[in-house]
Amino acid sequence: MKISSVAARRAAALILLIALWESASRLGWLDPFYMPAPSSVARVMMQLFAGGELWTHLGATFAAAFTGLAAGLVLGVGLGFAAALSPVLAELLEPVMVLLNAIPRVILAPLFVIWLGIGLASKVALALVLVSVLMFFAVYNGIREVDQRLVERIRTLGGGRRFLVREVYVPSVTAWVMGNLKVAVGFAFTGAVVGEFVASSRGLGYLLQFAQSTYNAGLTIALIVVIMAFVLLLFALSERLERRLLRWRQT
Amino acid sequence: MLRVRGLTVAFGGPPVLENIDLDVKAGQFTSLIGPSGSGKTSILRAVTALLSPQTGTVDLDVPANDVGFLFQDDALLPWRTARQNVALGLRIRGIAPGPAAEKADRWLSLLGLDGFGDRYPRQLSGGQRKRVAIAQVLVLEPRLLLMDEPFASLDAIVRMRITEELLGWVEREHLTVLLVTHDLEEAISASDVVYVLSQGPSATIRARHEVNIARPRHVLGTRRDPMFAPLLERLWEDLS
Repeated sequence: MKISSVAARRAAALILLIALWESASRLGWLDPFYMPAPSSVARVMMQLFAGGELWTHLGATFAAAFTGLAAGLVLGVGLGFAAALSPVLAELLEPVMVLLNAIPRVILAPLFVIWLGIGLASKVALALVLVSVLMFFAVYNGIREVDQRLVERIRTLGGGRRFLVREVYVPSVTAWVMGNLKVAVGFAFTGAVVGEFVASSRGLGYLLQFAQSTYNAGLTIALIVVIMAFVLLLFALSERLERRLLRWRQT
Repeated sequence: MLRVRGLTVAFGGPPVLENIDLDVKAGQFTSLIGPSGSGKTSILRAVTALLSPQTGTVDLDVPANDVGFLFQDDALLPWRTARQNVALGLRIRGIAPGPAAEKADRWLSLLGLDGFGDRYPRQLSGGQRKRVAIAQVLVLEPRLLLMDEPFASLDAIVRMRITEELLGWVEREHLTVLLVTHDLEEAISASDVVYVLSQGPSATIRARHEVNIARPRHVLGTRRDPMFAPLLERLWEDLS
């Protein structure tokens, strides 16, 4: 009951905001060149979908984001595990990861374009770097902060390294990874879209770049809304996955 | 069953425990009482090799796999069901999932947790979690049971009930037990031998008492035994 009433209030606020925006546009308070009305944004969006061209761009962005997300997860989780288990590797990796974490990682985009060209690879690389640094810290810290009492339980029950990994470390790390999955999805899309923005011939970032260079505010806003809608959809999916894998957290 | 000789434990500073001698005889219930922070837990941790002492020896007549350790807190694996938590030790000992789960269910039911096998620890009450933790240790049929203030976190009623049940089990099975507690009455009620640890740092064994109250015992009945009150007073004196 409580949650649904919160959702209802939020939806009402959103509708009110859009209504205000629409009325302000119709009354001529907003310059349509800078701030087109919601109805004309909706029209642009409909044209985008109806034209069919959008799907190619969506496909390109999704391909880059998902490939980068998957590869980033594998790389980040792998390196995090390796660093947590090997002090020497941790010594070498930690400063690199701290540095990569501190800088705005999208500054690497131009370099990836020079190295990998304007195709899919440079976008995947950027998404991968964004995701893998996040996952590295999730796993690395997750393993180091594993509940020592659980480690002792396994040991007093006679369990060795195999059971420690299977019964304590992997589930702990899964919890950390799942807790960061939504952020990772967001990062993967950031990487893909920013990569396309910098240099590409396809993708939502490319369309955005095009809309910006032609001063088309309506198309820009429509694209932003499309990207938000798809990321929200993915958030909902990862939340379901999270709830499934972490069902032991429910009381 | 268990012999501790000259055990000294330090964590960088002055020793927490100094020159501890302790014997636990087979089939006997031995308690170790002492003030909080006297290092009682460290003795059990040294026995189970969770910490290595500065000096001293720990001799066990049974293999480490026959020693059960019931911890103070009930840190079960939160991502495993009650059944999986109880079956854990069996799985570690190489028993197949099917038989291990069956045996776990038998123990859950023995401890009054029939039908709770599929619950996760977060879905159980404190008393139920404690019962799962007990089942997790007893299912392995240990020959020496170490207990570290196992019921400290429970409310008085649940605590009394679980203590009574566990005592019954220990008596029927002639289990050898070493219990660490700061509850003097609990120690007397349950034990054949009570050791008193002095206030740390450098805590050491101050006294050893035998409790000659007939078995089987009941938590409440034991308190009416003529032996009970004088012994309680002696323990108080030892501790002050």
